[in-house]
Order: sequence, then C-alpha cells, then structure tokens
Amino acid sequence: MSVKIEAGAGGGIPHNQLVIYGLVGSLVLIYLTYLNTITGTQYFAFFGGLAAVVALIWGTDTIKHLCSYGLGTGVPSAGMIALGSGVIAALFGATTGIAAPIVTIIIAAIIGAVAGVMANHVVRMDIPVMIISLTELAIVGAMTVLGLAAMACGTFEFIGMITGEISILGFAVETYEFSLIGGSIIAVIFMLGAIAIQHSFNACLGPGERQDRTLMLAAECGFLSMITVAIISFAFIGFIPALISLLVSVIGWIYTYTQYIALSKRDAYAWLDAQPILEPKGGA
Amino acid sequence: MSALGGPKQTGGVQSPTGMGIAIGIVLIIVALVLAFFFAQMAGLIALVGIIIGGVLIGFGVHFVPVGGAPAAMGQAPGIATGVAMLAAGAGLAGLFGGAWAAPLGLPLALAGGAVGGGLLMAITCTMVNIIYVFGMGIPAASGKVAKDPITGDTFPEYKSQGTEGHGLPFISWVGGVIGGALGGLGGTLIYLELLDIYQAQLPTILDTTVEQIAPVAISLAGVFAVGMFLMNAVLAAYNITGTIEGPHDPKFKRFPRAVIAAAVASAVAGIFSIGLLELVGVF
Repeated sequence: MSVKIEAGAGGGIPHNQLVIYGLVGSLVLIYLTYLNTITGTQYFAFFGGLAAVVALIWGTDTIKHLCSYGLGTGVPSAGMIALGSGVIAALFGATTGIAAPIVTIIIAAIIGAVAGVMANHVVRMDIPVMIISLTELAIVGAMTVLGLAAMACGTFEFIGMITGEISILGFAVETYEFSLIGGSIIAVIFMLGAIAIQHSFNACLGPGERQDRTLMLAAECGFLSMITVAIISFAFIGFIPALISLLVSVIGWIYTYTQYIALSKRDAYAWLDAQPILEPKGGA
Repeated sequence: MSALGGPKQTGGVQSPTGMGIAIGIVLIIVALVLAFFFAQMAGLIALVGIIIGGVLIGFGVHFVPVGGAPAAMGQAPGIATGVAMLAAGAGLAGLFGGAWAAPLGLPLALAGGAVGGGLLMAITCTMVNIIYVFGMGIPAASGKVAKDPITGDTFPEYKSQGTEGHGLPFISWVGGVIGGALGGLGGTLIYLELLDIYQAQLPTILDTTVEQIAPVAISLAGVFAVGMFLMNAVLAAYNITGTIEGPHDPKFKRFPRAVIAAAVASAVAGIFSIGLLELVGVF
C-alpha cells in the first residue's frame, strides 16, 4: 500500500515551497478583494479568482504527492474530498466577517485533519503523507470556494453572499433570492472548483509527467473556471467590474493555455527520442 | 471488531488502530456536546441525523459495483468509473428526489431520496450491461464467486482467462440499486436535518419570514449535504481501494471501518454546518 512510486522526472519546485507560496499567495489575494469594502467599489473582485488559481496550483501539487502512493480510487476522488470538506469550511469561515479567510483556513485544516486521521487510522490506508495531504487539500478546496465566491459577488462576507438587489419598477429592492447562495450559485462554484482541481494531474500523470506542465494545466483550469464565474458575476456586481474580471480571466486563460500547449509539445518531443530530420543544405 | 458488532474480518484486513478509535469517539462526543450548546435538543437531534445519514452513505457505497479502469477494458466486473463519480451521481439524484419531496414530510422525503438514488443506479446498471453485452460482446461473469447468490447462475464457464470477470452480474445490479437507495436516503436525511436548523435560525437572525429566507436555507442545506456526501463517499472509496463487485465481494466485509470513519467525519463536518449561523453578526 505505502510503496511510493515517484511519478515524473523529478526536479521542479519542492512541494514545501509550493505550499508556502500557495497558502500565502491565496490568503493575500483573497484579502485584496477587501479593497472593495474599503474603497466602496467592486473593481477588485477578480483578485478572488486569482486566489483560487493560486490555491488550485498548490492543490494540484498536493494531489500529485498523495496519488504517487497509489490510492486505487482514481485521482478525482482526492479532488472531491477536497472540495467537499472545503465548501463547509469556506461557508463557515465566511460568517466571521473580516477574519473570514483566516478562519476558513483553520476550520478547513481541522476538517481535513479529521478526514486524514480517519483515512489512515480507521480505514487503514497507512500512507505517510495522508493526513497532511488531506489537510492541505481541504484548505485548497476552501480557499477555492471562498475565492470564486468572492469574485462572483464582490465580497467574502456571508451577509453579502446571501443578499442581492433586484430592481422592480426602477426601485432597488433587497432580496435573498437573487444572491450568490440564495440562487445556488455556490453549487456551481463547488463543481467548477472540483473539476479544476481534479483534472490537471489526472490528465498529465504517467511516465514523462513534468511538474511545470501539470501546474500550468492547473492554472489553465483555474482560469477556465474563472471565466465562468466572471460571467456569473455580471448578475451580482456592476458591469464594469464584471468586465474587468472577465478580461483578466480570459487573458490569463489564453496565456496559460498557449504555455501549456508549448510545454506539451516540448515533452512530446523529448519523449519521442527522435530528432527531426534536418534538410541538408543545398537540397537533397 | 466483534466488539463493535461488525462481522469477523478476513485475514488480510487490518482493523482500526486504538488511537483512531479513541480520537473518533472523543470527536463524536465533543461534536454532540457542541451541538447541544449551539441549538439545544434540536441541534442534538440534527447532529444525530447527520451522523446516521453519513453512516448510511459510507455503508451504501460498499454495495455499488465499481469497476474502474479495468472494467472499461472488460477485464473486471462492475461499472467502468470510480467510486467518487458513482456515489456523487447516486447521491445527487437522491438529493433531488428528496428535496422535491421535502414539503411532504420526513417519511415521504426520505423515501423520495432513496427512490431517486436507487433509480439512478438501476438505470446506470442496466445501461452498463446493455453496452457490455450488445456493444462489447462480453457476458456477465463475476470473478469473486462461482455462483450468483440470487439467480444461481454459474460464472466460471463464461469467465475469460486472465480477467477478474467482466460484465455486470445480477447480484451486482441488485447491490448497485441497494447502494444507490442507501446513499440517496443518507444524503436526503442530512439535507432535511440541516434545512430544519436553518429554517428555524435564519428568520430570527435576519429578521425576516421563513418564505423570504427559504432560497438561502435550501441552498445552504443542499450544498452542505453534497459536501458531506462526497467526504463520506471518498472515505468509503479509500476503504474499498479500487474495485468492488457488490455485496458478495470479500471486500464488502471491510465496511465497519468505513462506517466508523463516516460517522466521525460527518460529526465534525456536521457540527460546523449546525454552528454556521452562530457567528453571523458577531464580527
């Protein structure tokens, strides 16, 4: 069970370093959406989506670590438990106002650690990195949900997520139905995050897997989810802020997609073990 | 394991460690005390309901014939996908059924959830077998038992060499439907308990009527039920490690471990769901 099969050629950024980048990066980026509340605008909503992308990159590397032990259940299961425990932590954390991102991380760590202890000591997976990996994955899932939710409605606070405005006969009326949670957009965000986190390593695993290519695909999936959330955000935040979110996500997606294709070509070429036939000078 | 009422374990299965059991019991007790502290008897009943729901999900997943990648190549019996995907499908279908029937009262809603989950698995299993038999041209043969416990059909004559069996025998079909029904039942129970809590608490916190707050309460309960469903389903999947043919598979006897894990995980996730609204307005 606990025989580690190192996937990929090694090298790249060490996992611990990525954990720090991911944790600090997503925390800072989520807090940047609070500029909306400070300045009274909605232009900074897109930082939430960027926080989700950073968290997804970190989560993909964690999944790679966990799945190199051979779970026997497929890579997507790790993504599912990440978002399943993450969504509970994210919504609980959101109720704590300005402290939301930090509380979210703490609650997610608790839920993830319990799941990890259960997996290792009761279900007896006996995988050395199980507890720490499920803890990391729960935090990643929580930050993804909180980030995308903050992007969609402009705030990471619970009251902002359950209230929306609708204009009836020219009057703006507060309603609970046209809100992020009232409209069940949170369920869409849940699935967008789950698909983004479980796809990258599932698609890239195998001999010849390279960390930079896998993580680039993770960023690409994150931006793809961001595009959808940006379109959703037209319903909740102003036209210009939502347009900024959409532009940021589309530009990010195009960049990461072209980079991913370039990296795929590089690795495909290296894998072929064949050199291109050069045209002799002066014609054959 | 016999002390916990479970069946005798097969040789290769390791029983949970003492530390794991102790942590689990402590966490469940702490969660129950906190639930009583947050919402008195209503909270306690809700948390017990959530734990029962989680256990039903963890137990139900073991019935579902999961084939994984080998099944897609016709080299193992079962449905050709992972546990998490199948459980999510059955659980969500059950939740839809249960949520639709929620206004009709607890028994009908639970029945609706069970029928929803069971129906999805019945359709899935039937279509899987149609594809196996008429599309891939392979007969249904279990690799784990020589005779179908229900129909009495024998398998070894039909089993191809070098495979663990293939197709979807009748016992696996029955297991799939039972698993889907249990999963749908458990998911709906979690949903209904959380819905009760939120519909009682949200109007007083936000000073509105139950009708105005209904979309928020339904959405919160729904997304939490899905989250807990996936947590429990994945823990059960880790217990199965890969493929299982259904209730006749020797791996089925491992279920007590998943039941304990699901109970503890649901208790911890449940207490955060029940306590969700305690901090609204505090900060």
